[in-house]
Amino acid sequence: MSVLSSPLAVIEIASAGLSAIILVAYLVFRPPLVNVTKLWLLLGLGVFPIGAAFSGNVHGFEATKEREFCGSCHLMASHRADSEDRASGSLASRHARNAMFGSENCYVCHANYGMFGTILTKAGGMRHVWLALTEYRGTSIEEARRTVHLRDPSQMNGNCMECHSTADTLWSKVPDHRSTLEDVRAGRIGCASAGCHGLAHPFWVSDKAAKP
Amino acid sequence: MSRSPFDRWLVVACACALAALALMTWQIFTPTVWPVIVAMSLGQVLGTASLAAFGYVVFADSRARRRANTESPTIKTD
Repeated sequence: MSVLSSPLAVIEIASAGLSAIILVAYLVFRPPLVNVTKLWLLLGLGVFPIGAAFSGNVHGFEATKEREFCGSCHLMASHRADSEDRASGSLASRHARNAMFGSENCYVCHANYGMFGTILTKAGGMRHVWLALTEYRGTSIEEARRTVHLRDPSQMNGNCMECHSTADTLWSKVPDHRSTLEDVRAGRIGCASAGCHGLAHPFWVSDKAAKP
Repeated sequence: MSRSPFDRWLVVACACALAALALMTWQIFTPTVWPVIVAMSLGQVLGTASLAAFGYVVFADSRARRRANTESPTIKTD
């Protein structure tokens, strides 16, 4: 996506540019601090930077939903590559090819739902950043594969059920769905497990996930 | 006209604001983990600090002017 196709990005760049012009002009010419100077500095240090911060933050929050953002961590490179591989048959890739998920497929599947879902997701994301910085900074993908795992796999069915409600007749026609309904809803059997629809990221099976 | 005694504060505020704007714009062009996090943390802190410094300068300058006016009152003549 081009930067200029986003109105927020354009507002941010324009606000930052106008502010920078005022500030550089002040630093170069150093006019006396009269009322007109204060007014210009109010624009350069207050009004335009606040506009840039507001539009930049909203744009930034939107950017955190993108696969490009998630995949920019070296540990997620293979997840991103698989999602973008149109020939891949993994659940992650198949959902990425669905327009409802698209380039935000990581976020759509892993986000928490409910009133504070976005905040909880961002807070969880900061935990990932902390762990990446403190424990996994120099870790190879092969090494990380053995230890990186979902904190609470039982929550994942809830995310699947946001779209696949388990309540419609088409879903109930499948015998395996009928026989496992309660276990699926309780998270005791994972939709994305080896015996059912397969792992979402089949190339990434951690030792911890494999243990009962 | 003489330069304000708070001039240095304003120079620091301008430098902080320029750095903050650069960080905020960096995340627009590179929407990956570190640019976004740095823009939303360090960028916000620098931008807020620059605005606070400007507010302090305006307040202190106006107080200094008021004090100067009261210390050297104009002589009234009837």
